[in-house]
Amino acid sequence: MTDETAAKPYVNHGMAMAISIWAIILVSVLFFFKYKVPELASDRSSLDTLYYVILGITGVAFVLVQFILGLYIWKFRHREGAQGSHWHDSHKLEMTWTLATAAILIPIVFSGLVLWNRVQAAPPENALVVEAVGAQFQWDFRYPGSDGRFGEFRPELYSLENPLGIDGQDAAAADDFSLTNQLVLPVNRPIYVRLRSKDVQHAFFLPNFRVKQDLVPGMSTGVTFTPTKVGEYEIACAELCGLGHYRMRAFLSVRSEADFETWWSEQTAAAAASP
Amino acid sequence: MSEGHGGHGKQGFISTYLFSFDHKMIGKQYLTLAMMMALVGGLLAMLVRLQLGWPGTQWPLLEKLFPVGMASGVMTPEFYIMLFTMHGTIMVFFVLSLAPVSGFGNFLIPLQIGARDMAFPFLNMLSFWTVVPGAIIILISFLVEGGASASGWTANPPLSAIRSAIPGSGTGQTLWIVGMMFFVASFTMGGLNFVVTIFSLRTKGMSMMRLPLTTWAQFTVGVLGLLSFPALAAAVILLLFDRGLGTSFYLPKGIFIGDTLFPHEGGAPLLWQHLFWFLGHPEVYIIMLPAMGFTSDIIATFSRRPIFGYRAMVYAIISIGVLSFLVWGHHMFVSGMSPFLGSAFVLTTLAIAIPSAVKTFNWLATLWRARIRFTTPMLFALGIVSLFVTGGLTGVFLGTNATDIQLHDTYFVVAHFHFIMAGAGLFGALAAVYYWFPKMYGRFMSEGLGKVHFWLTFLAYYGTFFPMHYLGVAGMMRRIYDPNTYDYLKPLQPVNTFITVAAFILGAAQLVFVFNYFWSMYKGRECTEENPWQSNGLEWSAPVHPGHGNWEGEIPAVHRWPYDYNHPDEKADFTPQWKAPAKVSAGG
Repeated sequence: MTDETAAKPYVNHGMAMAISIWAIILVSVLFFFKYKVPELASDRSSLDTLYYVILGITGVAFVLVQFILGLYIWKFRHREGAQGSHWHDSHKLEMTWTLATAAILIPIVFSGLVLWNRVQAAPPENALVVEAVGAQFQWDFRYPGSDGRFGEFRPELYSLENPLGIDGQDAAAADDFSLTNQLVLPVNRPIYVRLRSKDVQHAFFLPNFRVKQDLVPGMSTGVTFTPTKVGEYEIACAELCGLGHYRMRAFLSVRSEADFETWWSEQTAAAAASP
Repeated sequence: MSEGHGGHGKQGFISTYLFSFDHKMIGKQYLTLAMMMALVGGLLAMLVRLQLGWPGTQWPLLEKLFPVGMASGVMTPEFYIMLFTMHGTIMVFFVLSLAPVSGFGNFLIPLQIGARDMAFPFLNMLSFWTVVPGAIIILISFLVEGGASASGWTANPPLSAIRSAIPGSGTGQTLWIVGMMFFVASFTMGGLNFVVTIFSLRTKGMSMMRLPLTTWAQFTVGVLGLLSFPALAAAVILLLFDRGLGTSFYLPKGIFIGDTLFPHEGGAPLLWQHLFWFLGHPEVYIIMLPAMGFTSDIIATFSRRPIFGYRAMVYAIISIGVLSFLVWGHHMFVSGMSPFLGSAFVLTTLAIAIPSAVKTFNWLATLWRARIRFTTPMLFALGIVSLFVTGGLTGVFLGTNATDIQLHDTYFVVAHFHFIMAGAGLFGALAAVYYWFPKMYGRFMSEGLGKVHFWLTFLAYYGTFFPMHYLGVAGMMRRIYDPNTYDYLKPLQPVNTFITVAAFILGAAQLVFVFNYFWSMYKGRECTEENPWQSNGLEWSAPVHPGHGNWEGEIPAVHRWPYDYNHPDEKADFTPQWKAPAKVSAGG
């Protein structure tokens, strides 16, 4: 008749499962206090606030739901003589948890949309515009020089001597200058980084600035942000771009206004001196 | 439809085991193929973890195995990229789609709806033998010059389109495309079969609202496959043209690689991403929905409880299916796609989160006042619920475009999808194997080995993938060969080493399963009755060794839904679908 072994309850395993789930809750939550987002150095602190709000809300949901899962596993393990229930429908409950989920998610998502629109807004008039050019496996950063305008580039001109393909005939190009794997920015001034790729996709990732944007060949993309802390930071490529992807790394130096001015006049003077 | 062609007579080895038309044999063939591919995909993951656990270490023994990729015993970056590319490709398509969908879909649909076979048995056989060459081509691609594809499983052009962009973009990428085309052809044949079979071959009394949730999931998956895979087919064919015929679907003007300016003009790399994710996101649900179905069926059986909110569960499956076509852009928030469009995708993503949460709450309510039996399949099913909660919640960070900026393309994403998609798919397939094994082979899998397998897998799964959230939060990018290149990532090395150790345990635990599977096939405890788990699904009315045609006599008629556990009018705590109501007259 009935296969006794197949219908065995194995309650010990159930109790072990409940305890494991509770232990997992404890350990996984604890470590979120240890591992944090990299120290913030830009005006995008609202993104961090939202991150911590979501972490709090989903953290509570995580603990609560996993705890209940463990609890039910523990409490409703097979017991001789206990009567199971046939109850299986409640329109009221279904509506409750559908609406409750929506009620929790909607404010999160909408505050996300507000922040998204803010960081995607067009750069202000006074923004310093820099061009970042990604190529396997390096970053070139071009500044518009004292005229504030970039010289045109043409892909036909790409060469060892002219890696960015700048059109020398364009008057605006004369005072442009560029650096390889090094970006220098002033503190507390809006920056617009115009992004373009020479070959494949890359992603311009500033871990300390909450900035990430893909570079797409054939397209011009960009990001606006304001550095708020003087210091030295790392720039990473966050989109697989080839075998050297892992070492497509550059440096960002955020300088005080005075230091940046000094650096800027040195660079523009050097650009003017070169033919 | 139900004329008894149960006795097909003795058949030869070839027609029984190779070119079988029997949906059960085809299901088993798919499962075996998926298991073989899983061993390869798993091995690739182990090598990825080896590099991340101890970057740049010399492993002289491995040099003998991989003389090129591990020249002088140290892994090369191009080998590393190939490993994770092929791990993703093999696991997503050839394991997590093949095992739960093609494997269990084929095996279970006719049994669960009361049909002799799938609607198109020949097409079914053909679909299996179409995916086999696809799998072989994918495996062979490791051996060609430059190695297998190395542009990530998402194969973004220009990296995947231009041969000189990365060594894997040579012949390896071409074979990847060809392998995918075989896969797409096979999967659309399967999808068509699923939909037609479920629509037209249900036995008497099996209304759509009496279908087990597994079959509802497979039905939806059939539709998703039919509508989404053609987008991938189109995408890879255009990619092939760009690679071989000089077209410019994905390649714009001005691509300059290795001192060469390419003559392409007018293409858009983002077109690929749109096409790929138009498949890619439904694909996630193609993997997850069957697992959710198995979970529902298994939890109901072993809690001795009706599934809570059956109607809500069905509506959730359907709405997830529909919405899965409208969320693909949430993979592309920072891709260069219009930020306005990004916001639209946030809203659809919000919408799809709700039915997913509903499913979780319904599973919990099913456990309420249950009498749970903790067999191995039940442990895996409960494991899915836990993984699903974890993976679902981390989705909130990524679906909110503002927080996705920091987390996109970091290990947070890797953690997220290994919990929600890969975890559900893997645990789902494993739970299903343990649960339906007696119907497949007339024997049980070893419960003892099963328990060992479960505990190692469950704990090692959390140990492997949960700490990846921390890596992502701390800013570690995906797909980097050596994170220690960056100063800010150096402090994370202990986490990476820990993950690697956990991953090795996870990998080793699967060998216990493979052994258990093949050992139990021949030596497992014999199953002596058709319904050993005291379940209600119609598949359990078939004989212990169902022949081709499934039932020897008439196909049983169905009198109720599949979750009548603990019915107050019944003495037993289960009432199978095929049990006639007591008061009904003999005419039925």
